Amino acid sequence: MSSTVVPEVRAAPPVAGPQRDRHTARWVAVGVGAVVLALIVLLATRPPAADVIAPSPIVGQAAPEIEGPGLDGATVRLSDLRGRWVLVNFFATWCVPCQKEHPELVRFSQRHPADEVQVLAVIYDDQPADVAEFFEKLGGDWPVVDDTGAKVDFGVRGIPESFLVDPDGVVRTRLIGGVTAAGLDGLLRRAEGR
Amino acid sequence: MSAPGGSPLRRWLGYLLLVPVVGVALLVGAGGDDAGPPTAARRAASIAGQVRCPTCDGLSAAESESSASVAIRQEIRRRVDDGETDQQVLAFLVGRYGRDILLTPEGSGVAALVWALPVAGFVLGAGALILTMRRRRSEPLRSATPEDRRLVEQALGR
Repeated sequence: MSSTVVPEVRAAPPVAGPQRDRHTARWVAVGVGAVVLALIVLLATRPPAADVIAPSPIVGQAAPEIEGPGLDGATVRLSDLRGRWVLVNFFATWCVPCQKEHPELVRFSQRHPADEVQVLAVIYDDQPADVAEFFEKLGGDWPVVDDTGAKVDFGVRGIPESFLVDPDGVVRTRLIGGVTAAGLDGLLRRAEGR
Repeated sequence: MSAPGGSPLRRWLGYLLLVPVVGVALLVGAGGDDAGPPTAARRAASIAGQVRCPTCDGLSAAESESSASVAIRQEIRRRVDDGETDQQVLAFLVGRYGRDILLTPEGSGVAALVWALPVAGFVLGAGALILTMRRRRSEPLRSATPEDRRLVEQALGR
């Protein structure tokens, strides 16, 4: 079967066209490359995922009250800890980053007297019996509270998430992700103005 | 047989009949849930529908069964029962989570870009399309030369 040749009736583009297109494509490629390179540099120089300080509307505000039963059934309140620095730590036993940060919290709490710096663990979507077993296995003797409303009051978006509350009961910092003892020490020093 | 399209009245009759049908459909679609006075449960559900699930993607607090969304729904219901207005409840949640907890972006500040960019994109795209089509139309048409005609005749086997 013979092919039919249909003559081109529309004017051909100027001769300089393809050359100009190649030029444009080259500049677009250079631009895209520069953006990708900038992204790589940005991601590579970001701080590690631990001790990440994140903004929150409640930073600088009075900490919302946390109140609920502790692991022994007695009522635990955040306001009862007024006068000392409190690290409010939202966690669950099924959360892997929480499991990883727990030894760091143990180290941090051992470095500071409890009447000066206190960790307060808030159970997030977990069973108190599992939490008791978790503490028995991994250590840690700070108070634990079961208050399901606290996650809304503090605007928690995921776990682990921690809030440093100063001795006057004001939220000073929000930390998302796992924490480290060294990071918390540095944070505390800066918060105390030392 | 009548001329194609018929009289103007007959031509527009279909469209005229569509008006009440579309109107009723819109009324049913938009107002179906609003029958009767707003109860506390309905108000709480409506507010939860305007709030993002803080721990999941693409779901409202009304749709998600995550513990964070369940807690938000309980808090909303408690505040509605306490007599707070919708705006007060939403303001409380914004005060805890930040403005991005709202599913509907604000119409001012940087968030307004969410509304403005699609419109700007549409206008720019339509403008570019019109310009391209005009330019194509204005391109000179080259008339076939005798050589072109000969080639066509040859190809068609005449």
